[in-house]
Amino acid sequence: MGRSKKLTINHNSEFELDLAPLLAVMVKLVPVLLVSSAFVQMMIIETELPQVVQQAIKQQETNPKSAQISVNITKNEGVKITVTEGDQQKIEIIGLDNDKKIDFKALHAKFVEMKSSHPEIFKIDFNPDSDVTYKDVVRVMDEARKARNKDIKFPVIDNKTGQKSTTDYMFPEVVFSNTMDG
Amino acid sequence: MGKTRFKVPLKRNQSFTLNITSMTDMFTILLVFLLQSFAAGEVNLDLATGVRLPSSSTEKNPVDGVKLSLSPTELKFDQTVIAKVIDSKIDLASIDPNDDKFIKPLFEALKKFNTDNEKLAKTGKVLLQADQELPYGTISKVLYTASMAGFPNLKLVTTVGQ
Repeated sequence: MGRSKKLTINHNSEFELDLAPLLAVMVKLVPVLLVSSAFVQMMIIETELPQVVQQAIKQQETNPKSAQISVNITKNEGVKITVTEGDQQKIEIIGLDNDKKIDFKALHAKFVEMKSSHPEIFKIDFNPDSDVTYKDVVRVMDEARKARNKDIKFPVIDNKTGQKSTTDYMFPEVVFSNTMDG
Repeated sequence: MGKTRFKVPLKRNQSFTLNITSMTDMFTILLVFLLQSFAAGEVNLDLATGVRLPSSSTEKNPVDGVKLSLSPTELKFDQTVIAKVIDSKIDLASIDPNDDKFIKPLFEALKKFNTDNEKLAKTGKVLLQADQELPYGTISKVLYTASMAGFPNLKLVTTVGQ
């Protein structure tokens, strides 16, 4: 007669987790990712826009009667905005502030005012002077791109459906019109 | 009566366990953060040496295109220096004598790129990293030459700000 050996299970037994392989992977991956990661987040100024806004820009390009806005930036005088409607031209100048720098706050307010009176315009011509710094040019583009106040919206009509919509984009399409000048 | 010195018994074969829980915690958090930032962009753009980018409120991630960098000392096509910048202006030796906006080495480099990378060249996209203190006049020369070479689609690289 054979004796059966009873298997005892100790429910209080513990097991140790071997973290060595996991740590080995991490020690290898972390330096690689640290070296390749960029701590300066870079973006680009592009012109990909909502469909409705893109269509409005195309319509502005094809409509010869649409008003045109031209922005001249000078180091000594500030920003001169010219609105051309047919034969009429309206010029607005945003002068320099007390520190002899471009008054970006006033400039943004002027762009909001112009967009409110010309909601169909999304493209502007940029003509910075040669001595204007690049950062000022980028800053002016920023002030013209979108309304900072989230409560401000501008009407736009979807050409395909005829529906009215709103957008916070002001003048996102910028053309450097003096690049090809001699 | 002399005091007896208590000697600490040293067991030479004694081992100790290393508690690595906190180090594993730190590595896990670091790894998750780096993996997330590594996978974020469509294109990995390296900041060019000597270039301080302007900040902008734009929200667009970089796209693939020809990479140009313009620092206060040199103009680079990808990582190759193609022209010198002196006093924030392109060196006169690189400028066409008949057209003061035309940068000859840049045009040649872009033309060569056109033939070597037809697919990317068709998009006409240029990613320009330019130093924020450079005057617009210098940058407009790069824009002009790039458009003449068939690259009118300009993307200005900026940092996140404002």
